[in-house]
Amino acid sequence: MPFSSPLPSPMALNKPPPSPSIFKKRSSSALGGPIPSSAASYLTALSQADARARNANGSPTSTPALSLSSSVTSSSEDTVLHDYADNDSNANGLLLPARPPTSEQVFTTVHTEFGHCANEEYRTTSQHPPGTPLPPHVEQDPPYYILLSTYISYLILICLGHVRDFVGKRLSPASYRHLMPRNGYAPLNSDFDSFYTRRLKTRMDECFSQPVTGVAGRTILLLDRISPDYNHTQIFTGTRTRALNISSYNYLGFAQARGGCADAVEESIKRYGISSLGSRLEGGSTDLHTISEALVANFVGMEDALISSMGFATNSTIIPALVGKGSLVISDELNHASIRFGTRISGSHVRMFKHNNMKSLENLLKEVISQGQPKTHRPWKKILVIVEGLYSMEGTLVNLPAILELKKKYKFYLFVDEAHSIGALGPHGRGVADYFGVNPRSIDILMGTFTKSFGAAGGYVSGSKALIDRLRVYGHSGPYAEAMTPSVLTQVVASMASIMGIALPPEMASSSKLAIEQEYHHPGPAPPSSLPSWLSLPPNLASGAEGSSRLRRLAFNSRYLHNGLIKLGFITYGHPSSPIVPLLLFNPGKMNMFHRLMKDRQTPIIVVVVAYPATPLVTSRVRFCVSAAHTKEDIDTVLKACDEVGDVLDLKHGLPKRQRWTVEEIMKRAVELGTMA
Amino acid sequence: MNATSTTLEPVFAFLESTLSTAQTTFDKLPGSAVVLRYVKSSHRNDPGRTVLELILFAFAVWTLLQSRTRADRNGKHFIQFSEKEIDELIDEWIPEPLAQPLTSTEQSDLASMPIIAGPNGPKPKLVSTGKTAVNLASFNFTGLAGNEHIKQRAVETLRKYGLGSCGPPGFYGTLDVHMDLENDIADFLGTEACILYSQGFSTVSSVIPAFCKRGDIIVADRAVNFAIQKGIQISRSTVRWFDHNDLNSLEEVLIGVEKERKRRRGPVTRRFIITEGIFQKDGVMVDLPKLIELKYKYKYRLILDETYSFGAVGRTGRGLTELYNVPAEKVDILLGSCAVGLASCGGFCAGSRVVIDHQRINGPSFVFSASMPALLAVSASEGINILRSTPSIFETLQENIRTARAVLDKLDCITIPSHPASPVIHVNVRASHPAAPPMSPSASTGSGSSKHQHSNPQSIVSSKDKSQLTPAEYEGEERLLQEVIEECLGQGVIVTRAKGLKGQEVVEPRPSIRLALTSALTKKETEKAVGVLKAALVKVLGKRR
Repeated sequence: MPFSSPLPSPMALNKPPPSPSIFKKRSSSALGGPIPSSAASYLTALSQADARARNANGSPTSTPALSLSSSVTSSSEDTVLHDYADNDSNANGLLLPARPPTSEQVFTTVHTEFGHCANEEYRTTSQHPPGTPLPPHVEQDPPYYILLSTYISYLILICLGHVRDFVGKRLSPASYRHLMPRNGYAPLNSDFDSFYTRRLKTRMDECFSQPVTGVAGRTILLLDRISPDYNHTQIFTGTRTRALNISSYNYLGFAQARGGCADAVEESIKRYGISSLGSRLEGGSTDLHTISEALVANFVGMEDALISSMGFATNSTIIPALVGKGSLVISDELNHASIRFGTRISGSHVRMFKHNNMKSLENLLKEVISQGQPKTHRPWKKILVIVEGLYSMEGTLVNLPAILELKKKYKFYLFVDEAHSIGALGPHGRGVADYFGVNPRSIDILMGTFTKSFGAAGGYVSGSKALIDRLRVYGHSGPYAEAMTPSVLTQVVASMASIMGIALPPEMASSSKLAIEQEYHHPGPAPPSSLPSWLSLPPNLASGAEGSSRLRRLAFNSRYLHNGLIKLGFITYGHPSSPIVPLLLFNPGKMNMFHRLMKDRQTPIIVVVVAYPATPLVTSRVRFCVSAAHTKEDIDTVLKACDEVGDVLDLKHGLPKRQRWTVEEIMKRAVELGTMA
Repeated sequence: MNATSTTLEPVFAFLESTLSTAQTTFDKLPGSAVVLRYVKSSHRNDPGRTVLELILFAFAVWTLLQSRTRADRNGKHFIQFSEKEIDELIDEWIPEPLAQPLTSTEQSDLASMPIIAGPNGPKPKLVSTGKTAVNLASFNFTGLAGNEHIKQRAVETLRKYGLGSCGPPGFYGTLDVHMDLENDIADFLGTEACILYSQGFSTVSSVIPAFCKRGDIIVADRAVNFAIQKGIQISRSTVRWFDHNDLNSLEEVLIGVEKERKRRRGPVTRRFIITEGIFQKDGVMVDLPKLIELKYKYKYRLILDETYSFGAVGRTGRGLTELYNVPAEKVDILLGSCAVGLASCGGFCAGSRVVIDHQRINGPSFVFSASMPALLAVSASEGINILRSTPSIFETLQENIRTARAVLDKLDCITIPSHPASPVIHVNVRASHPAAPPMSPSASTGSGSSKHQHSNPQSIVSSKDKSQLTPAEYEGEERLLQEVIEECLGQGVIVTRAKGLKGQEVVEPRPSIRLALTSALTKKETEKAVGVLKAALVKVLGKRR
């Protein structure tokens, strides 16, 4: 564990290789062949190769322009690419598709935003095999030495932090002044409260809050930064690096600056302006809100829906309107912070059950219903069970069929937070209910966000008409929070309509009577009457062909990456269908290393590493967010990188060695991996 | 005897071999001898300590094995039931419906909510009538809505960044345009730093719990807005309330808190004064210089919510700090909204670098929510540029406010608690007996100081405020105002009631019509629109007498 060493973080500096002495103790016996023997030498070799590659490409502009013109529709897109591709060459393999398009393939997307992938084999359907129970999620344990070294790492970090605080307070009191009481003011943040942030998180600040620019699509442009003082300040070097983006919540690849949805948004800015100017109940409602809400309700298969301008606020302002004193909220222990925030504000009683554990839920239900409210033993007014469709840190799916079974017996209300699952799961992209083939109306409240699959922002809550009307009046957002802006609404409408597809308008010849209302059948295409009249989507989006191709690409990519990592020998969590693929790192020091090793490759890959307090202390992890925008080759790149980095950092503790596949074999058998359950 | 010993023999042999292997492995461990010697000597010297240590060890194991979600089955309130009884209880239990359907008045209120067709602005088109109307309801103080330059910049941004940022700020959701906007706002206000939130409403309820923890002291105005109330609630700090916009009452409370602390000889805790610049509930403006003086005198930090004053007052719209010529640095935590002030979206918090950086890790709705779409950030930045360069916007706005007040102030049937410079104007129905003193909170601040009654600072409900309406009166006033609104709408003027959350507010504010004036209308247009409101008020309220 190089990073737990007592020396100040070598990671804080950008290019110079860390002193090899820190890494000397790492045994190199486990690694064979061409792989460098230590992380340090690996890093050096990488940065050298990188520099060489950059120098070799003196004039990078000519080739990309030539071949791109065949793959994008209009010439304006080329110029845009050049705008920020100034010092980009295709040396990192990100600008151009691995396989140049043939004359009959026409791609309408920019490859850096949404990858070109024409091979119909790399597609699968996201669907739970009907009639089978959801296999229980088994969390694989690492070998004991990993656990032990993880604990020791934290121990060292904590001891060292306290020593540094002790010495620092005496030697340089000025830098601790904001943590000490001063002039009769208590510190805003005590040294104890901020210990974790100062002494542990600061060491890996390189991995967090990396500023970026451009579209958070298949690739992203990083604004390079260095820290001369161990992450206390970050200085921008002024250069940019294009990296493969496997971190943004861009499941269906709708984060695009070009294409039908962006065109629609541009049109809406011209038509509607920027803001809705006010809250929904006080003069901020437009016809676009009404249209979007009806479309969202159709999309999820509910009677009505309410849109809120921020995802976090959807939970934190809606839950208090549902439950209050005398009600009980039963919440999964891994539920998102916004749900906890909302339940705490609501004033209702809260109990938690073990993550996705139906036995634990049932026992809890038996207990709370039989005991009633604490002390008084009065029966609960109502019980609301809140679960997430897809858990953002674990990649686990809620066991919806089992919960619905329990719901029948225990008469609780069910709230499913589909922040990550809407759009990302199900054969029609309609979330967990669609994935399990369950009638969405058997769930009381479906909540979700537009940030993830739709490339927009904000959230919605949907349910019966009576419920939603009540939430319009009693949800905190209604009178007080600003309404969603027209541009965001348009992105929602356009992306949602492309997933659903737009039904062909009925024969114009038939009398107006027939033409007025085209019925919506869940989960079918959107009737044209349910969309703004000015919205015109290009044919491939309007027909739903691209939407369904995106859904199938996402499903394939998710399974391929997940199964590939397992076959490589990593410990991963979650369901194979989940676009969130967590890979377990355990040691805190490895987080920084993993992040840096992935970023400094010839094809830079940016990853999200998460640790305590977002996860339990020992199970630090890297979280990949797969997108439909990724091509099979991109996933190959990630797998290759993980394979090499995994060897260097000793991360492969999953499958026994005999059952592992080589990365070449995995790439060759991708279709098999991507389509197996 | 013999038989048992023979049958047990393999067991003994096994035990012995295990023990000896354990022994040898233990011996082989480096430093095992030292540990053994230490344990032996400590046991010899002090056998009681060994017992104690064993108990401690057992306790630690027991604690570790306790499940977090386990029920308090041993509590004295727990009743043991048999399985059958539990099943019966489950069968018997009938939950309340998840949501009561709306009452008919609520339904008609919801139906009467104006919906705008096309762009919202000073003169939008209504869905219900299909006609344009003058808008005195939406927040567009500076008339930035519909600005062609901003639209053009937004489209350029869209073409470079797409729409959504697809990630929280911590994980590749921080765009350069977000940092630019943060710098722009900090620079505009004159603070060290600034942090962006993606919704104005959620900003303050996230900022408060980021700083105020259990045991800290919050002294807040009784009429703070709902978001602040929720922030205070979730912070779990000790709260003391002072009378609405009454700084004498604030000082009393501050003295009281100090006394209490001295009596208890407690350590210095974090102390905050929380109030609003222009109050959302009635448009009253706080006396900032006096407030700053008090905060320094009693060593409090000030959290000032400028949602309705940023982009509304001051020569270039910098808010209360500009209006009173107080450096913004003196306000420790200054909050504002880009949605209200800059006709974009989101909120911000400005302050010192320490204050801002703290929120980047501890502000729940900053950490756990996706960052604002790039084009909205750029729109807000452009809005600031426009405000900087065109002070005439605020001259027009102030003139419109003066015009509106000149029309409304003459009316007998209403009271207006709002500050004369506030673009948010609340119109209350005057209490039915003309002899009764005006009940509006601002009026009470003036008269209250001469003969002070002490309100209980621990309760948000003021003992001074005897004007609490009965539900019937409340309903009646609401109906009247709604009638006024319908009347105005018929005449082509959109106004709105100040909507609240009935039943969830700690103190129900008096029903009012809330106007939001804008510089996008000319003086004439404003005069005419407010004239329509005046006529409607006279017609509806006059009928009542």
